[in-house]
Amino acid sequence: MFSLLLTQAIASGVVTGCVYALVALSLVIIYKSTDVVNFAGGELVMLGAYVGLLALTYFEVSYAVMFALAVIAVFTTGAIFERVVLGTIVGRRHSAHTELVPLVVATVGFGYLLKGLVRAVPYTEEVRRLPPLVSGPPIFIGEAILQRHDIAIIAVTVVVMAALTVFFNFTLTGKAMRATSQNGRAAALVGIPVKRMRMAAWGLASAIAGIAGILLAPKLLMTPDMGVVVMLAFAAAIIGGFTSLPGCVIGGIALGIVQNFVGILLSPQAIAVTPFFVIIVVLMLRPQGLFGEMIATKKV
Amino acid sequence: MYGELPTRSFILIAALLGLGIVLPLLLPEYFLYLGNMLMMYAVLAIGLDLLLGWSGQFAFAHIAFFGIGIYGTALLHTRLRIPFVIGMPVAAGLAGLTGWLLAIPSTRLRTVYLALATYAFAECAQWVFRTWDGVTGGSDGLRIKPPSVLGHVAGTDPAAFPVVAVVLCLMLVATLYLTRSNLGRHLCAIRDSEHVAAASGVDVKRVKIVAFALSAIYAGVAGGTYTLFQSFVNPDVLGVGQLILVLTMVVVGGPGSIIGVLLGVVLIGLLPEALRAAPRGLLVWQEFLYGLILMLAVMFMPRGLWGLIEAQLSVRRAPAKQAVSAAIGTSGPLDLKGTGR
Amino acid sequence: MEGRVYEVTRANRARRSATRDASGSARLVRALLKQITVPVSVEENPLALTTHAQSRVNDKDPKGGGCMPSFNGVRCGLVGLAALLALAQPGLAADPGLTDNEIMIGLFGPLSGPLISFGLDPLQAAKMLYEEVNNKGGIHGRKIKLVIEDDKCTPNDLVSVVKKLVTVDKVFMLHGGSCTAAVAAAQDFVNRESMPMAMLNAAGDNAVFPPTRYVFGAFQGTQRVYGAALANFAVLHLKSKRAAVIVHDDDYGNANLKTVKATLERQGVEIVAAERIPPNINDVTAPMLKIRAAQPDVILSGLYPAPAVLFAQKYAEYGMTDVPLLQATQGIPSPATFAKNVGNPDALKNFYHTWSFNDVADEAVRQKYIKMYKSYYPDRDPTPFFVSGLPSALVIIAAFEKAGKDLSRESFVAAMEQIDVKTDIMAGELAFAPDRRDALRDVFVVRFDGTKQTVMPGVYTWNGKDGL
Repeated sequence: MFSLLLTQAIASGVVTGCVYALVALSLVIIYKSTDVVNFAGGELVMLGAYVGLLALTYFEVSYAVMFALAVIAVFTTGAIFERVVLGTIVGRRHSAHTELVPLVVATVGFGYLLKGLVRAVPYTEEVRRLPPLVSGPPIFIGEAILQRHDIAIIAVTVVVMAALTVFFNFTLTGKAMRATSQNGRAAALVGIPVKRMRMAAWGLASAIAGIAGILLAPKLLMTPDMGVVVMLAFAAAIIGGFTSLPGCVIGGIALGIVQNFVGILLSPQAIAVTPFFVIIVVLMLRPQGLFGEMIATKKV
Repeated sequence: MYGELPTRSFILIAALLGLGIVLPLLLPEYFLYLGNMLMMYAVLAIGLDLLLGWSGQFAFAHIAFFGIGIYGTALLHTRLRIPFVIGMPVAAGLAGLTGWLLAIPSTRLRTVYLALATYAFAECAQWVFRTWDGVTGGSDGLRIKPPSVLGHVAGTDPAAFPVVAVVLCLMLVATLYLTRSNLGRHLCAIRDSEHVAAASGVDVKRVKIVAFALSAIYAGVAGGTYTLFQSFVNPDVLGVGQLILVLTMVVVGGPGSIIGVLLGVVLIGLLPEALRAAPRGLLVWQEFLYGLILMLAVMFMPRGLWGLIEAQLSVRRAPAKQAVSAAIGTSGPLDLKGTGR
Repeated sequence: MEGRVYEVTRANRARRSATRDASGSARLVRALLKQITVPVSVEENPLALTTHAQSRVNDKDPKGGGCMPSFNGVRCGLVGLAALLALAQPGLAADPGLTDNEIMIGLFGPLSGPLISFGLDPLQAAKMLYEEVNNKGGIHGRKIKLVIEDDKCTPNDLVSVVKKLVTVDKVFMLHGGSCTAAVAAAQDFVNRESMPMAMLNAAGDNAVFPPTRYVFGAFQGTQRVYGAALANFAVLHLKSKRAAVIVHDDDYGNANLKTVKATLERQGVEIVAAERIPPNINDVTAPMLKIRAAQPDVILSGLYPAPAVLFAQKYAEYGMTDVPLLQATQGIPSPATFAKNVGNPDALKNFYHTWSFNDVADEAVRQKYIKMYKSYYPDRDPTPFFVSGLPSALVIIAAFEKAGKDLSRESFVAAMEQIDVKTDIMAGELAFAPDRRDALRDVFVVRFDGTKQTVMPGVYTWNGKDGL
């Protein structure tokens, strides 16, 4: 019996962990490129899910088209937000240090704005659901049961991870983005369009968040408040190291499994506090997480 | 700028005290309730501003200390019959102690991580309030018995109003002294650049910890005032949403300036009430509006509304001086009123 | 020059209005004096609170009299001063919010925010009933006037709205609240002001136990009623011997669990698993695994809509659909949406839920109210939960009838205390008593297979003791 609990806890933990990982990837990409903690990450996930729902139920397109539409919509939203809002803030001539607070506050406001926008539509009053990517009878891994959609989540995460690795290491745009995140001034000197890179980074990260939303919605159910999953993504990113992409995935999976174990061994009540407890512990003991770089302090 | 407090500040505080005594005789309870809430938020916001505006630390744990203040004062009064005048300082002290303990490992974290760590702490605290139901009543909530302050029984809004006003005035006086002290200067120095401050001889770590603890004490005091006019507390009011509200007050009003923060408290605190009069169809757009205000405020009013007003006033007063200070890009604390700038 | 004229005119107007309604000013004077003295301290026993409240004369600012819209507090002060000078005559005028042809009711609920689905349609349903009464000429010659506010189901907003309705709009009574925690925050104030308040559709557990004089609630049943109903159904109908319970760790969940435990243990049923999970949980794997390991023969759930769906899905996923699943009403305000979200008809093979209303059993009743709703709100398709706004309005209207032409807050409360209303829409009677403030104790249990609802025979009644 215990081995059943164990395998199921691990299997389910991996699946939910992959979703946290996807959202965490979105957060880390933004942080690495623009030094901003995106508190609206969860709302971008929510937006992706609801745009998908709109496409499916109102415009009645196919699943693939819905997927593409939702991703493009969230990509655009994120990019526009970066250019319009963050660009205005960054453009001001103030000391670099105090700049960070308004940027983060702007993302908080953005999150509220998106949530309010979605909530204003009466259709969102009730709990909704997106159909899963793949449906069918469940799959057995040993004694553990997983839905086909769960396997799809894992597959998509792996694919996204691989695509990002290729993108950042082997494409010019990806390398340019990395350069911008390492040293914005130097990148500008070399001719990289820094503003456009920031926009692209936000767009890319938002697109990933949108994908996470479409994958998450069948599992989690859709309410305008589903963005609270962002805290779990933060925990995942911190465990893995806020500057490491593979760290996100490891961190997410670790968090998913730990949550299940906490739920089984302690109590499900403790599940709510686990991600926050983990964040504090990791930040106090090893702020760079498992794979992150040591935080380089900007001088003056 | 530092040194003697302008008498203008004391006139303001005296006026506030006067209002505190006179208004309960004139206004219906609803407005007194709003007043009590605004005054409580003022203490909270000023405490947050100490960290956010004055020392540039992006710390989210404020709401946890607020909760400690509420539960501490309420439980000391209900379970141990400790009167408010002793209970509240004790609860605030407890909050300060917790802040101090939290600050010790946290202050070496960079802004971003500090935000996340303190956010996580706030959520943990809310979970504790919810789960430790033997003490706090948990989700069923805690009924607060009306405390008596030196013989005067608070509990209703009219009765509590003068007491809350007195508390606010005390905190304002403390803040005025604080910001003009060495500590205030050190906070500003740290905000502008930690390295330069350290090079100038400021013990950065110690000052940060002190700022944290002080800010927590403010939150604890605000929690104490909550028990004066509210009869019930529930962990749901101690969530991140409340913190974002206080943050908005500080950011929109004017970080780094007392008047700015008070302005922000009044505007953002009254916004939901003003929206009640809005046509019903607009009610669902409240959250959207709220997020929009927040975004617009940080985009176009980096020093808050008060910063904008101040800038307008100084343009009229001394265009040359203003051009110079704009070029340098000073971002020091702002006077309550521009004295000789 | 104009300034002085204004002051003189203002003083004249004050003096004139003071003499016009001296009794009103007398009460104002008393109110002013009252503010200066130290109020007596509140005692522990909430029912003792009522004798205090009763002994205080209803001396709020008069509805017309000397003080017009209370934005102008200064004017009130001037009037009071003028009244002090004038000779005050004692007198007993009507309560605020009440005239010979109008009763003002403060109606509130969540009209925005995350819990709008629990408040908007029910509130509009209540409003609809009041308009019906007005269309028929009112009650004893008085029409009902509504002041509607949004409380977002949060304690801060509800307290704010209540204080505004009571001290600024000066309504006769309050009718509102869909969330018990929020209502509990205003309870002390409401009792202190001797203001009758009937909850809209909140379960009300923490605000009706222990009962306080002025707060009436639980018009669709408390959590205790739902918990007891499911537990009794499990014992009597399903002959269960090993029960598993899953609830949230909030006030609703606590009340539910306590009652289920008491009811089941009284009848010799073992509780093999009792899981308390956070309301915002997004993965029910852990509690589901524990429940499965305990091998229950029935599962009782008090979860909210989203977790309830997740739970039903997981329960099917883990092949447990032979074990009956019993769900309390708050998780399934809209059965059709629930089924759609679960998306798996197999999960609802053995699915039952509580329902306080007769619209499932009696289609004619359902159509009657839906037609009524759509005639008032043609642009809106109500969720099935809209019926939860009906019982409170029906009882209030009945109490107005009973109190007669000589209406006052106290006579209204007295009428409510003796009310026993049988309606076509509720599963049982709605009744109060001097020591009882929860209206409904009977609910149905409905079997739902995803498309069809079948009402199980009998009505399940809470015995008034389990879970207290």
